[in-house]
Amino acid sequence: MSEFERKPCVYLCEGCGIKDALDIDDLERVATMEMGVPEAKRSDSFCAGDGYETLKKDMESGDVNQAIIVGCSPRVMAEQFRELPGQVIRANIREQVVWTQPPNDEDTQMMAADNIRMAAAQAQNSEPPQAYWDAASSLKLLVVGGGVSGLSAAREASKTGCEVVLVEKSDALGGWAAKWSKTIPGAAPYTGLQENGIADLIKEVEEDKNITVHTNTIIGQTEGMPGKFTTQLVNGKGDSWDVFGSIIVATGWREMDTAKLEHLGYGKSDDIVTDIQFEQRLADGNIPKTAAIIINPDKEIQPFSSGVSTKVAIKQALQIMQADPDAMVYVIYEELRAHGTAESFYREAQEAGVVFQKGEVKSVDGDLTVTVHDDLLGANIPMTGLDVVVITTGMIPNSTNIDIEAAEKGEDQLKDDIRPNLPLITINGEEPEAASDDDDGDVMPGGPILNLQYRQGPHIPVLANGFADSHYICFPYETRRTGIYTCGPVRRPMTIAEAKEDAQGAVLKAIQAMRMSNQAEAVHPRVGDLSYPEFGLNICTKCRRCTVECPFGAIDEDPETDYPVLNPSRCRRCGTCMGACPVSTISFKNYNPQMVSEMISAVEIPDEFDEKPRILVMACENDAIPALDMAGINRRQINKYMRVIPVRCLGSVTLLWVKTALEKGYDGIMLMGCKSGDDYQCHFVKGSAMAQERMSKVGETLQSMMMEEERVAVTEIAISDTRKIADTLNSFGETIEGLGLNPFKM
Amino acid sequence: MTAPLPEVASRKYDLTFARWVRDNVEGGDKMNMCMQCGTCSGSCPIGPEMDNGPRKTFMMVRAGMREEVLSSSTLWNCTSCYRCTVRCPRGIKVTAIIQGLAQVAAKEGYAPKGENASFANAFWWSASTFGKTDERLVPTLYYFSAGFMEGIRKSLDNLKIAINMLKAGRMHIGMPHTIKDKKGLKAILAKAAEIEKAKG
Ligand code: SF4
Ligand code: SF4
Ligand code: SF4
Ligand code: SF4
Repeated sequence: MSEFERKPCVYLCEGCGIKDALDIDDLERVATMEMGVPEAKRSDSFCAGDGYETLKKDMESGDVNQAIIVGCSPRVMAEQFRELPGQVIRANIREQVVWTQPPNDEDTQMMAADNIRMAAAQAQNSEPPQAYWDAASSLKLLVVGGGVSGLSAAREASKTGCEVVLVEKSDALGGWAAKWSKTIPGAAPYTGLQENGIADLIKEVEEDKNITVHTNTIIGQTEGMPGKFTTQLVNGKGDSWDVFGSIIVATGWREMDTAKLEHLGYGKSDDIVTDIQFEQRLADGNIPKTAAIIINPDKEIQPFSSGVSTKVAIKQALQIMQADPDAMVYVIYEELRAHGTAESFYREAQEAGVVFQKGEVKSVDGDLTVTVHDDLLGANIPMTGLDVVVITTGMIPNSTNIDIEAAEKGEDQLKDDIRPNLPLITINGEEPEAASDDDDGDVMPGGPILNLQYRQGPHIPVLANGFADSHYICFPYETRRTGIYTCGPVRRPMTIAEAKEDAQGAVLKAIQAMRMSNQAEAVHPRVGDLSYPEFGLNICTKCRRCTVECPFGAIDEDPETDYPVLNPSRCRRCGTCMGACPVSTISFKNYNPQMVSEMISAVEIPDEFDEKPRILVMACENDAIPALDMAGINRRQINKYMRVIPVRCLGSVTLLWVKTALEKGYDGIMLMGCKSGDDYQCHFVKGSAMAQERMSKVGETLQSMMMEEERVAVTEIAISDTRKIADTLNSFGETIEGLGLNPFKM
Repeated sequence: MTAPLPEVASRKYDLTFARWVRDNVEGGDKMNMCMQCGTCSGSCPIGPEMDNGPRKTFMMVRAGMREEVLSSSTLWNCTSCYRCTVRCPRGIKVTAIIQGLAQVAAKEGYAPKGENASFANAFWWSASTFGKTDERLVPTLYYFSAGFMEGIRKSLDNLKIAINMLKAGRMHIGMPHTIKDKKGLKAILAKAAEIEKAKG
């Protein structure tokens, strides 16, 4: 490492019951005599009062540039310590030790001492990160799509003073909404048909000085990274280039293929129509006397049969009744998804006389006879004399641009990126295994929207049904391309009111991303992080594993040398590349293979005659660590032999650490990360899945060392799993005790 | 009942009958709010004896099944206990609608001729004569309405219940109890008949 001159000091906190449970003199001895930290100070609280003042003075004067604070979890009091100049390292002996272990016990004391040893090793092997680059970057926002979502996004951004360029493919703004007027109620009391207000919104945007609108325009290509997206805007007259800080994709939705509705009679009569066609009839004042509206239940063609279809059906039924109170309207459903405030809307339609009919549509004939298996009467009953049969359809996300002939390659790339959990390309260059699920037919036709000039392909990664991939619980607007956000129905089916709200969320994120990139800071979840991966190219084997495994497409290969090149502001600092590198040559200033190896080695391993096993827990700091802290707050007793190291993401765990631990004499290793799979909760999307994949190879390593495979385990923990995390660690402890000690113990 | 009952629908899922019920039966205006949860039928103590129960009856009305609804035993088995009305999450006056439909059925000649009618006749005789239902006379009349042997059989079947009721003081031996003002009752009934007649 560089010339950083370390001036560490240990701050031993005695408050919060720590002094009553532990021998502080012994801890001070460990920190200073054993780990060689020059000085240790004590106080009843370092988070406030005199203790904090001392700490602050030490760091501001420059006497100390690495404060090792021994006390509470790094998740609390973070604000106070963030203000301090220099590096703050936290050794958690409150939540993880004092609150989960019996007081004044030999093993409790050993655990606290080991946490201090690890923190000291962490200090010795890390240094404060520095910003990667300080060039000013663009604070201009690109919004793609001129429908409700895009218009709302542009307006919301402009209200914050942001400069916006809005690009619309067609010749007019407004999207679908411009064709229609009445909409599902989006404001209290959530009843009655409301005007969609699209004309006003278009006017606001057109009059807005901060917004430049380009109609008849598409994106030719996009390269660069947050703060520096260089984008080609193409229209009939030629093309132009512009630089943007971040991008919002609000391309909305399109009709589903009506060929898929033939089994519901579509095509047999002009009066069997989709809800979209019917919307037009209503707008034209063409009101039927009798109508059946079928909420399309077909799981095959519309696996995500959405609440929007239900709301549209209710709306259209109500529109008929309001125009003609004597009309007869049946809404046929298998699942009525009138969730949330739509309940009031549903009741309103019932009061108006719309009949909701639960049943399965068996057939629809050309003479408009609809045969329904009425679940409530338990019989097949034909419905006759109808003027119109309406079939609700799904919203197909515009995650591709259907106007552009899809290049063969483009399609393949989207297909490969459809499942976030697709198997990895392995280090030996083996082909990825075929994906287990067989929804290969779901490839979205069309060209990429942004045509990203990324090594990972031109598309924004999507989920199985073509909706943009995002962490649906924590970061819904996020795509897997940093600085690019989606809002509106390209993300999930939604109503006009929902799309407007969605646009607000995406705008906040997009603005945050531009500003953070401007300061070389990471966006969420590691908001404000300055560290970034550095590549030790002297030993890099150009294996490309880092470029392939980065969940955010942050790393390119240098076209000439083939070495990895980082696009720093695309990077979320998850460390997945670091975990992937087979020669451990990727490192962060304050998080690197060496540092964690030293932390692992710093733990005192009792010799075999003590019969005290040691269990290494590498836990994801997004969910598993908070869950562990909560277990402490709830005073759940946890296995006394565990030693916990927080990791940025399970994806950052390298096999090197596992090997180091086994050679060092640890008896078991537990990896704890977020849920992987199609409904993943990993904060870095793929990190946890990568770790699972990597660890599946650990078995061989263990066998070659003549050890039981059960010694290394991976568990998925959600932030709320406070009981499960304690139970898992305790039962893993029992398993390890059953297996006996690691034969490699010195 | 003002509007005449509509003709039998020529097709299923015709809302004419449902609309007629909405406009002409007490509580019918809220019937379309029924979300078919089944709380009413599930709560009904007579549910197992009914052919359809209130939930299904309402669905049948909405499906336009006039004949089936009016000839259903549900209308006659209801004891007016009001459990359904109390429990309906949509606040529908279930009992009122069932009773209303029974009235329509009676008027249109759908009322069953068999046991239901005999019981109703026995009940009505006792109520209009004494102002009270007599626990011996009503069942006796009802049992023997199906013939002498049948009457003996049914009486013996229920002997044990009768003895228990006697012991518990729920039934007595001797003259039937009557209300004090029998003349007043007669006047009330006459007035009610007059109103019904005026309504048509
Ligand atoms: S894997 Fe993570 S840390 Fe590495 S480049 Fe990608 S986003 Fe950054
Ligand atoms: S840095 Fe590591 S993972 Fe990336 S190409 Fe080089 S050797 Fe492979
Ligand atoms: S009032 Fe009639 S329908 Fe309702 S629960 Fe009682 S018996 Fe059943
Ligand atoms: S309880 Fe009420 S809402 Fe439920 S089925 Fe009966 S009438 Fe309908």
